[in-house]
Amino acid sequence: MTHQTHSYHMVNPSPWPLTGALSAFLMTSGLIMWFHFNSLILLALSLLTNTLTMYQWWRDIVRESTFQGHHTPTVQKGLRYGMILFILSEALFFMGFFWAFYHSSLAPTPELGGSWPPTGIHPLNPLEVPLLNTSVLLASGVSITWAHHSLMEGNRKHTLQALLITIMLGLYFTLLQASEYYETSFTISDGIYGSTFFVATGFHGLHVIIGSTFLIVCFMRQLTFHFTSNHHFGFEAAAWYWHFVDVVWLFLYISIYWWGS
Amino acid sequence: MLGIDCPKPKGRWPTAPFDPRFPKQNQTRNCYQNLLDYRPCVKRMRRRGKSTQPCEYYFRVFHALCPMSWVQRWTEIKDGTFAGKI
Repeated sequence: MTHQTHSYHMVNPSPWPLTGALSAFLMTSGLIMWFHFNSLILLALSLLTNTLTMYQWWRDIVRESTFQGHHTPTVQKGLRYGMILFILSEALFFMGFFWAFYHSSLAPTPELGGSWPPTGIHPLNPLEVPLLNTSVLLASGVSITWAHHSLMEGNRKHTLQALLITIMLGLYFTLLQASEYYETSFTISDGIYGSTFFVATGFHGLHVIIGSTFLIVCFMRQLTFHFTSNHHFGFEAAAWYWHFVDVVWLFLYISIYWWGS
Repeated sequence: MLGIDCPKPKGRWPTAPFDPRFPKQNQTRNCYQNLLDYRPCVKRMRRRGKSTQPCEYYFRVFHALCPMSWVQRWTEIKDGTFAGKI
């Protein structure tokens, strides 16, 4: 009995879970040092160690799968479950912020003037840049579907092109949103409107950046021939995540930008 | 017993009537809405040169329903920071 008789992957011992946990803990203390004692060193160190952990852990996963062949269909099934559960947890995370928004906006208090938007708040026009942002993300959903189909059909050139378009659209969204943040007449400290607006859209923006990074990694991997036409779960996970980000934006647009104005 | 020796004031002292716009337990909006209705009522009556006596209904309702601190806070703001539309 010198080989395993099951199709699961018994991963070799790895330091990355420990360094990841340590860096996350360091991040909490780093945030406290920044908020209360005006010191950025711990936070910077934690971000560095966290980034290094992520890079090396995922690099090892690519090595184990693409180069060493450990990702059997069984393993891939587990990864699918994992990604779906993670995205579900993210959906619940955003639901909390939508709850907060609706709690405050459905019954605005007298301190706000009994109205939503509160007295003195001038919301962004939903038919200007936010509508453009919506079309950008919807288009990126189309292009990533095109990329996936090209990948499944073995069309390398089209996969690269479509992935690149998706990434460009994602970056365009981020730039547009950053400029909108600059242009608003209200800030995060402007009452409950500012809080709900910037926390919800801010976390969404962070997820767009994460999703774009994931897509860029997929682009690099496609360039270096990692994916095959029927085994490319990394790409599928990125596509699922990207569609999730798009759907969250649609809810944000309809609730906060449109109904909330 | 408490209060049995206090002199009872003469006259009727009804409280705010049931307002079907605010049927539930939370009467904050009832208080606030009557406060908001009082000022424009007075303005309109004065503009038409009529007596402001009918507007006293709103005055009595919000004085009956609202906590005193709210009444003081909302009637004493004179620097334009009152958030409601009046």
